[in-house]
Amino acid sequence: MTARTWKRLFLAATLVALGATAVFALWVTPPREEQGFEAVRLLYLHVPCAWVAYLAFGITAFASLLWLVPRTRSATWDLLAGASAEVGVVFTGLMLVVGSLWARPTWGTWWEWDARLTTTAILFFLYLGYLALRRTGATAAERGKRCAIAALIAFADVPIVHFSVTWWQTLHQQGTVFNPQLDVKIDGSMAFTLVLAVAAFTMLYGYLVLERFELAQLEEGREERELQHAIAERVRAERSEQVVPA
Amino acid sequence: MNHNWNFVIAGYAIVTGTLLSYAAWVRVRARRLRRTLPDESHD
Repeated sequence: MTARTWKRLFLAATLVALGATAVFALWVTPPREEQGFEAVRLLYLHVPCAWVAYLAFGITAFASLLWLVPRTRSATWDLLAGASAEVGVVFTGLMLVVGSLWARPTWGTWWEWDARLTTTAILFFLYLGYLALRRTGATAAERGKRCAIAALIAFADVPIVHFSVTWWQTLHQQGTVFNPQLDVKIDGSMAFTLVLAVAAFTMLYGYLVLERFELAQLEEGREERELQHAIAERVRAERSEQVVPA
Repeated sequence: MNHNWNFVIAGYAIVTGTLLSYAAWVRVRARRLRRTLPDESHD
């Protein structure tokens, strides 16, 4: 089987997993009065988005580290870091929007400047800045270095976001699964659906990063060609100037 | 009483719409770039 066939199979499996998640989240799981009745169904989007954001920024940091180490330095790591960060920003934005939609009926407010929400907003803008930095004009080596350092600095916010509900008193609830007591506060169909949703969103992340990475390779190839073309034009122009007598 | 179904519908619609749009944007852009590089195979 070719790589394209494998990718299509993976996409099909991802879509099946996402479809199953939607069925379980919207029809099988029960509503919860203390979690905004039906609004609790947003949990099956909010938590996987948060997980994918952590994963995406973790992979960005790891790829950036590999780029910074001279022995493992490769353009692949830089492109992977950029692709993963972009997908991570999309999921972070969705996490904030879905969280806000859940907060309105349960907390009575769209937004609260508590530690979890504030550090997550900072995370979103840090990686938006990282993506902007990737677009600044520079050679591949210069861009790779400055972006790798920026990615490692930005990643420092990820554990702060995660532990913010433990370190400070927040309106946001503590971790449903990963809390300090490791007391899992979910079971039955809700737990199953949450695990399914996390798996489906992780697969979707993998597919999106693969597609974005391939696009980044194509963009890099086009920039390289444009640079070669510009150099060739310049050389040709200089030669023609030398041939024409003054 | 709708028990907040409007928030659920909005959330699922926003997530689905955003992810589909993003995936489509990436795929369309890649396809356009592949067309400008006809002599290279990317599969």
